[in-house]
Amino acid sequence: MGKPSDLVQGTLDLLILKTISLEPKHGWAIAKRIQQISGEVLQVQQGSLYPALHRLEQKAWIKSKWAETETGRKAKFYSLTAGGRAQLEKETANWSRLSAAIDLVVETS
Amino acid sequence: MLWTQRLWLRLQTLFRGGRAAQQLHDEVQFHLDQQIAENIAAGMSPEKARHAAKRTFGNVTLVQEDARRTWGWMWLEQFAQDLRFGARSLRKSPGFATVAILTLALGIGANTAIFSVVNAVLLRPLPYPDADRLAIIWSGLGTVNRAVASTYELFEIRQRTKEFDQIGGIWVTNGTLPGEGDPEQVKVGIVTSNFLPILCPRPALGRFFQAQDEAPNAPWTVVLSHGAWARRFGSDPSIVGKSVRYGDASAVVIGVLPEDFRFYLPGGFPSNVDVFYSVPVDGSQPGGPGWLHLVGHLRPGSNIARAQAEADAIATQIHNWDGNQNINGLRLSVYSLQADDVREVRGTLLLLFGGVGFVLLIACANVANLLLARSTRRLRETTVRAALGASRGRLIRQLLTENLLLAAIGAVAALGVGWLALRAILAARPPSLLNFNRLTPDFTVLAFTFLVAILASAFFGLAPLFAAGRLNLTQSLKEGGRSTAARNRWTAFLVCAEVALGFVLLAGTGLLMRTFMNILRVDPGFRAENVLSFQISTPKYEMLHELQQRIAALPGVQSVSAVSHLPLVEAANWYANYWKEGASEEEQHTVMADHRSILPGYFNTIGATLLRGRDFTESDNAADQHVTIIDDVLARELWPNEDALGKKLNVSDSPKGAYQFERDWAVVVGIVKHIQCHSLTVMVRPQIYVPYQLAPRPVSIVILTAGAVPDLAASARAQVAFLNKDMAVSQVAPLSDYLTRARSQSRFASLLAASLGAIALLLACIGIYGVLSYSVAQRTGEIGVRMAIGAQRWDVLRMVLGQGLTSAALGLTAGLLLSLILMPLLAGMLFGVTPADPVNYILICALVLTVSTLAAFLPARHAMGINPIAALRHE
Repeated sequence: MGKPSDLVQGTLDLLILKTISLEPKHGWAIAKRIQQISGEVLQVQQGSLYPALHRLEQKAWIKSKWAETETGRKAKFYSLTAGGRAQLEKETANWSRLSAAIDLVVETS
Repeated sequence: MLWTQRLWLRLQTLFRGGRAAQQLHDEVQFHLDQQIAENIAAGMSPEKARHAAKRTFGNVTLVQEDARRTWGWMWLEQFAQDLRFGARSLRKSPGFATVAILTLALGIGANTAIFSVVNAVLLRPLPYPDADRLAIIWSGLGTVNRAVASTYELFEIRQRTKEFDQIGGIWVTNGTLPGEGDPEQVKVGIVTSNFLPILCPRPALGRFFQAQDEAPNAPWTVVLSHGAWARRFGSDPSIVGKSVRYGDASAVVIGVLPEDFRFYLPGGFPSNVDVFYSVPVDGSQPGGPGWLHLVGHLRPGSNIARAQAEADAIATQIHNWDGNQNINGLRLSVYSLQADDVREVRGTLLLLFGGVGFVLLIACANVANLLLARSTRRLRETTVRAALGASRGRLIRQLLTENLLLAAIGAVAALGVGWLALRAILAARPPSLLNFNRLTPDFTVLAFTFLVAILASAFFGLAPLFAAGRLNLTQSLKEGGRSTAARNRWTAFLVCAEVALGFVLLAGTGLLMRTFMNILRVDPGFRAENVLSFQISTPKYEMLHELQQRIAALPGVQSVSAVSHLPLVEAANWYANYWKEGASEEEQHTVMADHRSILPGYFNTIGATLLRGRDFTESDNAADQHVTIIDDVLARELWPNEDALGKKLNVSDSPKGAYQFERDWAVVVGIVKHIQCHSLTVMVRPQIYVPYQLAPRPVSIVILTAGAVPDLAASARAQVAFLNKDMAVSQVAPLSDYLTRARSQSRFASLLAASLGAIALLLACIGIYGVLSYSVAQRTGEIGVRMAIGAQRWDVLRMVLGQGLTSAALGLTAGLLLSLILMPLLAGMLFGVTPADPVNYILICALVLTVSTLAAFLPARHAMGINPIAALRHE
């Protein structure tokens, strides 16, 4: 396995929103989940994860709540807000368009 | 609403920032713990697991900072951080902080004080309704400008004007007001019925004058000032409608003015007038004397320029001015009331304002120099911070914050300095500023002070910023905080600028002080020593004559007389046209002179010089033998190549009582040397004197004594009371007071200029001293080497002195050039000295050189005493 790919600029927000769209998660779980789902290809830099989470929270797309984990420790769980859900849809659509466009370019040239 | 949620979130992070930060820390800690647990599960030892987790995570502090930055309060947090840091570093160098703050306090405080005056006098509108629509209208004829107008002129202007909706007039004289206690002499305003409403929207009690008050058979009515009502009538609430005794008659009080009402009118106009009565505006008598100060209220939409254009047109229409004569050249001048009111002090104030601006620049240059020296000393600190990852923007922001803090502390101190300076200015202010009781610091002054402080901090902050901007990490670390050529250039430039600005201020100060000294030497045409004066209202001649004899009999009194207007007292001046026998119609309106009615012995009492002819005698009273004494100026003007004695002069008198003017021919019996009556520096008008019987008026008694006579005023007062217990005595003052007052404007200007000059010199000295001391400290090692290889102590002294004096000499040259350009601005304030006066420049050059040598000498002597061995170890 090579070096984990850096996330494409601007896609971290999308990944975070998507990851917590089903159930609230804390930062560690979000990072792990992204890593697992992507088959270890995408590795979230902690250096950008927490600032991103706080930025999304300030934009009121996600909200946070302190709750106990299954091991009984207190952790900060993030979940989508209504605004966040709308944003997720928008970004997903954007991403589809963008990746389709890139596919086109890559395949035809 | 999304934005309300966002706002709420932001406010939470602002006001509960501590908790949010703690939670952020917990969050990150949780993440690390999870990673450690995972690492241990993967088989690492706890120690290794922790290290690996931290490595994976990266710079914990940086991540937290980045997260916090998303909260949007980072700038505030950093600002607070910078402030705390700045305060700490200022506390750690108390010497620097003290000098910098004191310098700023002086520089900004001087500005605050002068701005307070400028604000009160020039900027704040007069406290009248529609203050911007009030105008003053002066009449002018021949060589005379700014003269009072006649009722005929007022009548004619009113008939024609379309730009003014109201024009009123006032004349102020003296009168005696009865009431509770001793009779009191007060200022009496003779007004047109519409005058008071122009300046005062409504009376505190009763009403103002109406047309019916001027009907021939109407009872005489008066309006009282609030002060007179309180003082003389015990604030009687039912005063309106009551009859009071006034002079020899009785008058009905119809109204009382509001308590805060004051006059702010030009030309030595008193701010308080206590009694008013109205006179009809009579247009039937062309050629009556001018006596009204005209104040007009512009129609909405009109302005001064339009009113002036209209006045020019009206002036040409008032031709048939004197019944059978055509008067060409009548001029009417319209000025904004506010502008005209401050005409005399405006120039002085603006120049002073410019002067304090210079002081501020010097102060800024000084602080900039201090900061430069400091920034060099702190170069290592700055370099380390930059090496640890502080961005250049962040470093600059931190420097700016420190400067702002310095300026803010300076500004607070400046408010104190400004307040003290303002007290001093108020104590020394000349009469032209007396009208302004409103010299209180207000919000504008406060805002001005802080604005100046912020601008100053930007200005003095620039210099070290340049140094920080050019920061070169490796270079700086290697140099270990030694001075650079760039810094030295800046320093030299700042010292030059300080000396140059200081030189300009001193040159101005020199000129103003020379002016004041010249004014002190002016011969006013009379001798004020040992002359006491006081005023009484129009007495009958017989009483005045008896009073003269009674006071003359008092012990210590050498001579007693009376005059209608004391010299150098501007109020209620009376002047008119005079012409010689045989003058053409045109010549009859070219010469104006001040009219003075006197008792015999006046010239002797005040030490005036009777050049030719004789003084009046007690028998010079008769209507059949009308005589006059004129001054040498008038004599030369009317009879340039002849002897004026015995010639006939057409004079305007009031033998039947005050304000009942008649013209008659009078024979010149004496010529007296001109007495400066309006100003010590300008000859305004010549004077003519007539015997008191021919023009009874309120008079001032003058008493010449051999030396100081105790209780003279009380004894004289007793004599007045003995003759007429209702006659009030006022304005008891030595004649020298009026002389002092006439000098006060110049004294004020030179005093303030001297203070500014002294501050400038002091600051420039601190600048030179500070820079050289610092330079010597920096060059200790170099000087040690020089001495070790054979330089003598004198060489070192010469080197340091040379360094300081080069800057000073350059500054001196720049200052000299700047002064030659700027000093002509002072021309209007100078007397007996020209702006380019060489003596002044030589003196100031000598002063600046001496003082800068002294300032440079101390550090130079220190350098001379450096021990080469110790100096070499110093590195």
